Amino acid sequence: MAQAVVTSGETSPVVAPEDPHQTNTGVSNNKLAIWVFLASESLFFGAFIATYFLYRGRDIGFLKGPKPEDLLNIPFTSVTSFVLLMSSLTMVLALAAIQRGDHRRLRIWLLATAFFGMTFIAGQVYEFTQFYREGLHLGTNLFGTTFFVLTGLHGAHVTIGIVWLLSLWGRSMQGGLPRERHEAVEIAGLYWHFVDVVWIFIFTAIYLIPQH
Amino acid sequence: MTDQGTEVAEPGAAVVPAPESGGAVVAHSDHAPVAHEAGHGDHPTPRQYVLIAVVLVVITGVEIATSYIDTGHSNLIIVALFVMAAIKFFLVAAWYMHMRTDQAFFRRVFVVGMVGAGIVYGILLFVFSSTVLKS
Repeated sequence: MAQAVVTSGETSPVVAPEDPHQTNTGVSNNKLAIWVFLASESLFFGAFIATYFLYRGRDIGFLKGPKPEDLLNIPFTSVTSFVLLMSSLTMVLALAAIQRGDHRRLRIWLLATAFFGMTFIAGQVYEFTQFYREGLHLGTNLFGTTFFVLTGLHGAHVTIGIVWLLSLWGRSMQGGLPRERHEAVEIAGLYWHFVDVVWIFIFTAIYLIPQH
Repeated sequence: MTDQGTEVAEPGAAVVPAPESGGAVVAHSDHAPVAHEAGHGDHPTPRQYVLIAVVLVVITGVEIATSYIDTGHSNLIIVALFVMAAIKFFLVAAWYMHMRTDQAFFRRVFVVGMVGAGIVYGILLFVFSSTVLKS
């Protein structure tokens, strides 16, 4: 009674899917949880983006340290933004692969997404280091505080996403991610796309909007 | 056990016959995944995903070019940049996050969070609008 072994087709086992209509809400509990989480994350990041705008240019008359327009490197950040945008494409291709039962491509796209994410983080570390060398620290001025907190929190989210993706890749390598469990990839993908969407607004708010 | 085609049910999981597998016994537990749900429409094809990525890259290019325009009307630039960011957001949410085709309930949950954030922080920024928009 404790265990039942099922042998099915060539590529994927048969695992009875949870019927969403058997849950209290009539929808998948896991998907509902991630959507509620993402809704709360909207409020979370909204607070920091709004705070950035509130303090933007407020200490311009007595600004200590380097000015934002002298530090921000739009061409460099445009490249890292492009990389993050492309990671959303590879993420959704990973989901399409597992839905087809193509586990080899699933693993390739998961690794590609994680690689793009790591490239983005490497760019952020480089940027932070450059700013620090130029004299901008967390407490130097209002720009330093709002910039490092907002982009740093986003970077932390990307890092968590990379760990999540690599854990999915590891599960797939061990055979623990059959086609029927594609929802695990879909949920990780929703998180990843949300992080990408947040960066779309951060990139616009900090880098693209003219400072003066 | 993905590629081997064998799955071991979790201890204590309910065991039910699977009609689609000719009566094979499969595990059915609370932790089992959801395959396809009611209202869960067809996902886009990989070709459509790539097409959306191309559109996103083009909009990003226009955004970056716009940020270099020096018209003396920074409010116009700011509005244009946010409109383009919003278009990119809707493309990612609708196509990559499958909000177009997924169950409406998930969409509502997310929209409540987004609209809530928009209202709360919109009021906050409106109060201090002079520091946000400069003429």
